[in-house]
Amino acid sequence: MSILSYILLVPIITLGILLLLPANAVRAIRWLCALSGLAACALSLELFFLYDSAAGTVQFEEIIPWVQGVGINYHVGVDGFSTVLILLNSLVYFTGVLTMWDLEKRVKEYFVFMVLLVIGVYGVFMSLDLFFFFFFYEIAVVPMYPLILIWGSGNKDYAAMKLMVFLLAGSALLFPGLLAIYHEAGLHSFDMVALAAHSFDPEFQVFCYPFIYLGFGVLAGMFPFHSWSPTGHVAAPAAVSMLHAGVLMKLGAFGVLAVGMRLLPEGAVFWAPTFSVLAAIGIIYGAFVAMRQSDFKFVIGFSSVSHMGVVLLGLNLAALNKAGADALNGAVFQMFAHGIMTALFFSTVGFIYDRAHSKTLADFGGLGSQMPRAVSIFIIAGLCGAGLPGLASFWPELLVFLAALNTYPIIGVAIIGGLVLTAIYILRVFALAFYGPPNPRWDGLREQDMRGFQLLPRVLLVAVLFFFGFYPNAMLNTINQTTVALLGRF
Amino acid sequence: MDTLTLALLATFSPLPAFFIALVFLRGQPRLAQLVVIAGTVLTLVGSVGLLLQGPVEPLRFLWFSSGQLNLQFGFLFDGISLVFGVAVSLITLCVMVYSLAYMAHDPSKSRYFAMLSLFAWAMLSFVYAVDLLQAFIFWELVGLASFFLIGFWYEKPEASAAARKAFLMTRIGDVGLFIGILMILPLTNSFDLPSLLNPESGLVKLAAPAALSTITLLIFAGIAGKSAQFPLHTWLPDAMEGPTPVSALLHSATMVAAGVYLMARLHPLFMAAPDTLYIILCIAAFTALLSATIAMVERDIKKVLAYSSISQLGFMLMGLAAGSLFAGVFHLITHAVFKALLFLCSGVYIHHFATNDLEEIGRRGGRRLKATTWALVIGGGALAGVPPLAGFFSKEEIFATLGHDGATLFSIVALLAAFLTAYYTARMLFLIILPAAIEEDAQHDDHHGPAQPIAMLAPVLLLAFGALTLGFVGSRLAAMLGVTPAHHDIASMLPAIGAVVLGLIVAYFDYGLSGAARRGFIARLPALQNLFENRWYIDEFYRAVFVRLNDALSALFYGIEKRFFDAGFDEFGSSTLKAGNSASRLQNGWVQIYAGATVVLIGLTALYIGLR
Repeated sequence: MSILSYILLVPIITLGILLLLPANAVRAIRWLCALSGLAACALSLELFFLYDSAAGTVQFEEIIPWVQGVGINYHVGVDGFSTVLILLNSLVYFTGVLTMWDLEKRVKEYFVFMVLLVIGVYGVFMSLDLFFFFFFYEIAVVPMYPLILIWGSGNKDYAAMKLMVFLLAGSALLFPGLLAIYHEAGLHSFDMVALAAHSFDPEFQVFCYPFIYLGFGVLAGMFPFHSWSPTGHVAAPAAVSMLHAGVLMKLGAFGVLAVGMRLLPEGAVFWAPTFSVLAAIGIIYGAFVAMRQSDFKFVIGFSSVSHMGVVLLGLNLAALNKAGADALNGAVFQMFAHGIMTALFFSTVGFIYDRAHSKTLADFGGLGSQMPRAVSIFIIAGLCGAGLPGLASFWPELLVFLAALNTYPIIGVAIIGGLVLTAIYILRVFALAFYGPPNPRWDGLREQDMRGFQLLPRVLLVAVLFFFGFYPNAMLNTINQTTVALLGRF
Repeated sequence: MDTLTLALLATFSPLPAFFIALVFLRGQPRLAQLVVIAGTVLTLVGSVGLLLQGPVEPLRFLWFSSGQLNLQFGFLFDGISLVFGVAVSLITLCVMVYSLAYMAHDPSKSRYFAMLSLFAWAMLSFVYAVDLLQAFIFWELVGLASFFLIGFWYEKPEASAAARKAFLMTRIGDVGLFIGILMILPLTNSFDLPSLLNPESGLVKLAAPAALSTITLLIFAGIAGKSAQFPLHTWLPDAMEGPTPVSALLHSATMVAAGVYLMARLHPLFMAAPDTLYIILCIAAFTALLSATIAMVERDIKKVLAYSSISQLGFMLMGLAAGSLFAGVFHLITHAVFKALLFLCSGVYIHHFATNDLEEIGRRGGRRLKATTWALVIGGGALAGVPPLAGFFSKEEIFATLGHDGATLFSIVALLAAFLTAYYTARMLFLIILPAAIEEDAQHDDHHGPAQPIAMLAPVLLLAFGALTLGFVGSRLAAMLGVTPAHHDIASMLPAIGAVVLGLIVAYFDYGLSGAARRGFIARLPALQNLFENRWYIDEFYRAVFVRLNDALSALFYGIEKRFFDAGFDEFGSSTLKAGNSASRLQNGWVQIYAGATVVLIGLTALYIGLR
């Protein structure tokens, strides 16, 4: 069995044990999930180091025949992209469990759904079979509904429903798209390696690509199908927002990459100008809307729309190939960096919310002197969002900016100008919530700042941001050859 | 020690100090101070070591590579970086020692010293950077450190607002700079400074003149932001909300000089883009004059110095844009020293009298702090350009450069600005030294220790010594830069000296003479006085136009999000429900309806088949 199956088995076994544990064994449930997250992190790190990045090929492949009549196999394997995304998922899983350490409501059920979601995400990142890809994709998406509905806050019924409608509408586009690919190829196989080797009719590619791009794009928070995402963030509990923004949205972008661009390269090229413009609009639009929000999580939600726009723009620019390697490296790097950054954001906001029971910016003011640690960590995430060098996000933005400037100078100038907008909405949060005279209402929080164990997940994420901020080649070495290989298809 | 060790000492020793002080020593400020100052001493050792070693080959390491982008991390050791590196680390150390006393009673001392250390790391790494993109990265980090230091007292809303404004205004310029830098890559495939600047194979040869003009102009946008030139200058006076030592270090001597330094660094590129140079000359001359007019009516001692910094930075850029690398860099160095001196002196008064108001400092006996007042006079003299103090020589270089091109308009503007500089400096001195009256009872209010503790006095005296003597090292500096300074005869110096003397005399009649009105001559022109006091209404203009534009745009997009996307989805949801409701009315259990529907459907089917 390859290391990938072990990574997939860790949460599956966790899920099995969870189901057997009595619901009141809360401590055991927490520790089980934390250990499972730790094990997943360790295995993913091992994968990260074992992966032979110089080759850039699909590695650690494993095939188990399944339904041979229609050509469905359990086929897993990773390239450079999935290696880093699996690491991302493990980090968010582990830190997410720790973030929810103090959860008291229906602990068992919560972790069951959360682990299910994590299984789905792992499955998507490692599947090389289109059927399993879609299967895991749905496993990852569906648990969001109960997670928001039961453990959420605020307008949660609405948010859960909206999220589900949008994501299932995306799936409704995907499903015919995927089946069309299967039929058009005529290979009687869902195997993505085999399908990638087949050269599809260019007209079919042009016809089919939008189904794939839009279907996955909804989950990636693409403009103009983004509005489910901020609403979902706001209503979801902390760790669900972490997984949602941290990894689920990356599933969408990864789908575009692994199915759309890899199988339908000419379709990608045809549609790239249109979707580039939409992505660029999303970057600017998200930043402007974030500027007027009054809720922490809405600000971060719209910043995600903006930052995911960078990912989508990078993907589309890569198809246009003029500076392809930069654009694609940037897009994948941004998936990782944004995942860690938003996980940190939501983890910290969740911490503040648990204590203050408010996430309205105007309720705070001067929180910096009352909860210096939590606020410092939020500020680090904010600076990462603003694209400050030294933190991971700087590099992918640099790469995508460079590609945009070389491909579409107007888009390049606009999104680099967007740096000012990002700074405006981030600094606005700092000014409203953290700076200024302390609000006496929160004086009681002085005793409740982050300490000890609570620091662990946040400091871990901060460390990852700094590590890739100072040593970006750790990321580039892993993904660059895969980028080169994929660009060879255009 | 080998060059790499020295370079690492000079640039990276403040980084661990920053981290340790911020993360582990929040509760032990004394230890934090010690660690931070030790880090900066190492920096000074490194930079002095490098200077003594003289210019050597740059060091380069690969930092990041992707596609066509290859970013290096390395160190450049030429005359400019070696000299400016020493100036930065020396002034940083002075300011840190000074802060020991100035910030003695602040509860967040550890954070303060940690942030100074962060600044030192970023600034020195910028100064020695070998790669243009590497320089930009540290340039941004310098801006970040500045944000934290301006907003150090973040509980004060003014400080928080000032920090935000500084970050945003400089970032606007940085967008231009970033675009300019990225535009270089397709032309050269590298950001390596020595190869970019190579006259045979560098950017000058590779880029078309129009492209070069665009690139240099975009880079200048960043310079204008950092060095507070019109129209991006308005953040700097507000930045005085930070602690005074911070103003001395960042917002006069070193950080704002980073823009000028970058232009000096890229001087050959700018020299090949005459259009850009002309624009820079215009902006710099206008800025020098504009801020000098504001300085002459300011009552806040720090604001006077802040506007004078903007004005002097304008002088430096004029020198560079008029073609003399030496003039710009020389004034950069002397200004760093005497402006740090002036700010540290002002800090002594502010610390002692707890006021920034010039007249109040004078009235309450500012001149009794003798050593500080003498140092202030020396610094002021250097700023005004009184021979033989440091500022005289460096400013003289700028005048000489402006003059020999026959750029008469710019010479006249510069002379006017020099006159105003002498005037507002003398006004500041007279208001403190020769106040109308001194309150006698104000004498014994030094309830918080000595007025001039040794930690504050020592840096002041050291810098005063620099302001006295630095003017005479011009030829050494020129040799480091590899240029020969123009030889000046007395006759060509006369107009500048005349402007200075005139400024001093007018100020004496306005403010110095016993029985003088202590109002500026400009008060006779109320319209101008009003304009200057309101800082030419530039902030108001920005608020009325750009802030409002931004608000309008974000309101527009927010409205689209609410009224179109959200409402559209809700409409979709409710119409689905409605459609379901109407359809469910068919499912009502009335057999007659079902039978009727069956008959109608059969009929329609028969009709369809029959017609086909």
